[in-house]
Amino acid sequence: MSSGVGRGGGDRRVVRGAVAVYGAFVRLFPAGFRAAYGAAMVSDFRRLAGDARGVAGVVGVALRCCLEAAWHAPVERLRARRTAARVGRSATAPSGAGGGPGRRGRRGVAGAAVAGLRELRFAVRSLARRPGFALVVVATLALGIGANVAIFAVVNAVLIRPLPYPESERIVTIRHHAPGLSLPELENSDGTIRLYREFARTVEDVALVRGSSRNLVGGERPARVRVLEVSPQFFDVVRTEPRLGRRFLDEDVAPGAPAVAILTHAGWQRHFGGDRRVLGRTVELDGVRAEIVGVMPPGFHYRDPNEMVLVPRDIGPNPQFGAFGTVSIARLAPGVTLDDARREVAALQPRLTELFPEMTPQFFEQARWSVDVMRLRDIVVGDVEAALWIVLGTVAFVLLIACANVANLFLVRAEGRKREVAIRAALGASGSRLAASVLAESVLLGVAGGVVGTALAAAGVRMLVASGAARLPRLHEVGLDGTTLLFAAAVSVLAGLAFGALPLPGLLGAGSGAALREGRAGTGTRARHRTRKLLIAGQVALALVLLTGSGLMLRSFQRLRSVDPGFRAERVLTLGISLGPVADEAAAAATYRRIVDGVAALPGVRAAGATAALPLLVGGAKGSSFSIESRPQADDALPLFTMYGAVTSGHFEAVGIPLLAGRRVERRDDEVAAPVAWVNQEFARRYLDGDAVGERIRLYADDPWLEIVGVVGDVRGFGLDAEVRPMVYLPVTTTVRGTGRELMVLTVRTAGDPLALLPAVRRVVERVAPDAPLTTARTLEQVVSESLKERSFTVVVLGLAAGVALVLGAVGLYGVIGYITSRRTREIGLRIALGARPGQVRAMVLRQGLAVIAVGLGGGLAAALALTPLLRSLLFGISPGDPLTFAAAAAVLAAVGLLATYLPARKASAVEPLEALRVD
Amino acid sequence: MRGREDGVEAFLPLKPAWFHILLALADGPRHGYAIRVEVEARTEGRVRLWPATLYGSIRDLAEAGLIEEGEADPVDDARRRIYRLTGAGARVLAAEAARMQALVDAARATRALEGA
Repeated sequence: MSSGVGRGGGDRRVVRGAVAVYGAFVRLFPAGFRAAYGAAMVSDFRRLAGDARGVAGVVGVALRCCLEAAWHAPVERLRARRTAARVGRSATAPSGAGGGPGRRGRRGVAGAAVAGLRELRFAVRSLARRPGFALVVVATLALGIGANVAIFAVVNAVLIRPLPYPESERIVTIRHHAPGLSLPELENSDGTIRLYREFARTVEDVALVRGSSRNLVGGERPARVRVLEVSPQFFDVVRTEPRLGRRFLDEDVAPGAPAVAILTHAGWQRHFGGDRRVLGRTVELDGVRAEIVGVMPPGFHYRDPNEMVLVPRDIGPNPQFGAFGTVSIARLAPGVTLDDARREVAALQPRLTELFPEMTPQFFEQARWSVDVMRLRDIVVGDVEAALWIVLGTVAFVLLIACANVANLFLVRAEGRKREVAIRAALGASGSRLAASVLAESVLLGVAGGVVGTALAAAGVRMLVASGAARLPRLHEVGLDGTTLLFAAAVSVLAGLAFGALPLPGLLGAGSGAALREGRAGTGTRARHRTRKLLIAGQVALALVLLTGSGLMLRSFQRLRSVDPGFRAERVLTLGISLGPVADEAAAAATYRRIVDGVAALPGVRAAGATAALPLLVGGAKGSSFSIESRPQADDALPLFTMYGAVTSGHFEAVGIPLLAGRRVERRDDEVAAPVAWVNQEFARRYLDGDAVGERIRLYADDPWLEIVGVVGDVRGFGLDAEVRPMVYLPVTTTVRGTGRELMVLTVRTAGDPLALLPAVRRVVERVAPDAPLTTARTLEQVVSESLKERSFTVVVLGLAAGVALVLGAVGLYGVIGYITSRRTREIGLRIALGARPGQVRAMVLRQGLAVIAVGLGGGLAAALALTPLLRSLLFGISPGDPLTFAAAAAVLAAVGLLATYLPARKASAVEPLEALRVD
Repeated sequence: MRGREDGVEAFLPLKPAWFHILLALADGPRHGYAIRVEVEARTEGRVRLWPATLYGSIRDLAEAGLIEEGEADPVDDARRRIYRLTGAGARVLAAEAARMQALVDAARATRALEGA
């Protein structure tokens, strides 16, 4: 090689490669420039690379030079274009790309772009000189921006992005309420769906849709799968057609029609390996043979991406008023608003008494009957909406605190830059030019923080989705999409502008010649200290709001965890066993009995049972009206309601539900059907004045009367924060319908670790019921914590935010007090020289910090009092203004603040007077 | 202060890269890479002119008439262009040095005032 530098062959090859790469970068320059200097640039680069030490050195030089070329080339191109445009007008004016005042006359986009680039380059250089400063700023901002981007990604996917159907905002659902029946959400019955199909003009294609589970046989292996039961109109409502095959037709829901099924894309892939010949195949769903007639497109699902199969279902030929619980969705008719639909649907209610003469107007009155039309999106999102917005608001606070910290760093740095700025101003740089250079730097840092923060957010979001945290609706849709990235970019630039603008007034003031003379402790110092102190007080205030909010959530959570659930969750294993639809109820009961017997006989098992109504497991217990033999109801009176479910002997003992009166569930109840029932305390209290044993109840009119033989303790079956509902427990052998025997949960109390027994328990189940799909095994403690997952997500995020706020606030306070103190070193030294004791000096500095903290705490208390009521819907057993929480938050903050002030105070009191006086 | 003639003032303050290049050429004509080496040596490595900056500035300086291309150095690689200071370049360099001197004086005076 002509470089002639003696190097190893490997190095020489690297140099040659680097030269080739650099040559490519040189080609980025305009032709004119290349013709004049291209060869020299490449030749210089070859020498630079040849002189570099080792491969790493060559790569370093190459990186440096390529970046530099990439940096300059666009400017040269803009310049070349401008020169070409100017040819013929004036070609003589000396107009270097930098330099004298002549260039300021230039205007236009190209000029602005060149100026912007120049400022950016200046900013990069000036930051590169202080990597520590840049690092601290970028890290702080990355934390704040990352948190915001991550939470925004969740908010965007869950709350902002429309549901994945065309014009999804026009999909509505109709719900009925009858608080008089102590059942809050009634959804629809066949009767109400008939009403809307026949008479409603504001809603079209009233479809019914219901999620359920079935045993699927005929796929790659038997499995319990999520199934959507939908009517043919469903496809019109979601405006989605099968990708293969056909949709459901009216014939499919006619009585006696052959059973058909449509696979979701996920079901097709997972259970049929994506086989295109799947159409026409027959599968068994809960023992019913059905032909596969279609496959839905990828990405389609209703509420749960795990839905595998769609089956047709519609209202019967003679719809009845009763049997609520069917979700109905529909589309708003063209040109109709949600309010139009609400008005019309409400006006249709009296027709129910015409369609169903057995329902009297008095019934509707007593039931406090009402109807509502809601957007499907609002139902899907449910009650996490408030929590998510609060969490987003919280992390926004964190970003504000981070910006305040950075602004303070900038203020301090601005002090150092005063002379530079003054010199530039004296040399003719305009105010806007100076402002642009400061803002270029702050925006650059903001964007750098944004990039790092977005990377953090991407990792965080992936972890959040993987952990299935919070059981958030639409969690599987969460990711960093275009909207989120746009948000990240906007937040980064705004943050950069915000903290960059703050030191501007002081800096531009420095533009006057006075600042040249101003030296270190000048006239504006007091005002700037005030800005700094205000910033810190603001941070303290924000941190107090976050601490208070997080404290309230934490205490709610504690209260919730200390709620007596009515059972003892420790060392209990639960495992769902799905027998599918029970044709022979005696046989099903026998199967469960044999499983329970087998498990109870295992070593290490204290008690074992099974239940269709596991506490806190949504969808376990069912609801029904019932009557009491000794207290007949008047015909037009409201029916009584209760929840009910089957249990085997051993279940109450296994989960620790106490027997309060009467007898236990005994072995004979698992063997022989007897007309008996157990009720919970709430049932006995509400319906039988507490004295239930010996009374007889009946769930369905054609069922036998059941004698209440025992009363057991109340269980918070529907959430630790939900009220206890009346409950009837029936023996597994009961002849009553719908007790949930198709899916019962095995409950096993163990002596040691419950999960250690799982293999043995599984073996027992597989021996007795080899084909029965099992659900995930969990300890009862896991069931309890999962019921709190949504809440714990909010608690954890708020807690983290408060923690970060506390740390940032403390760092900010420490920095500012330390800085102000260091500026007073001379004065402090003088005081000490004049006889001030260290304690007095410490007190002086501490007083300064305390004043800032006090102002911050005051403002924070006021803000917290104003804001914590927003949390009300998330709190449990505690008021938003809980004085203890407020006091504790303020105390924690004050303590941390004091510590942050004490360190500089101690340093100040140790000042050597002579040293201090020498400082100028 | 001097150098108000022939638009010298219009170039002040000089961009650092310009100043260093002019200074490097004050001792005599050099080619591009030699300018780089000279600047790096003079500033003890604090200022390094990477190729794009170097030749961008050289082009600007030539356009502004502060430097000009000279005959090639016979002992060096014939492809390399040689640059040398023009009269205007020398005046601008001197004016910039004087301006800096004035600034330094002003700063000294300020500190003396402050120390009182």
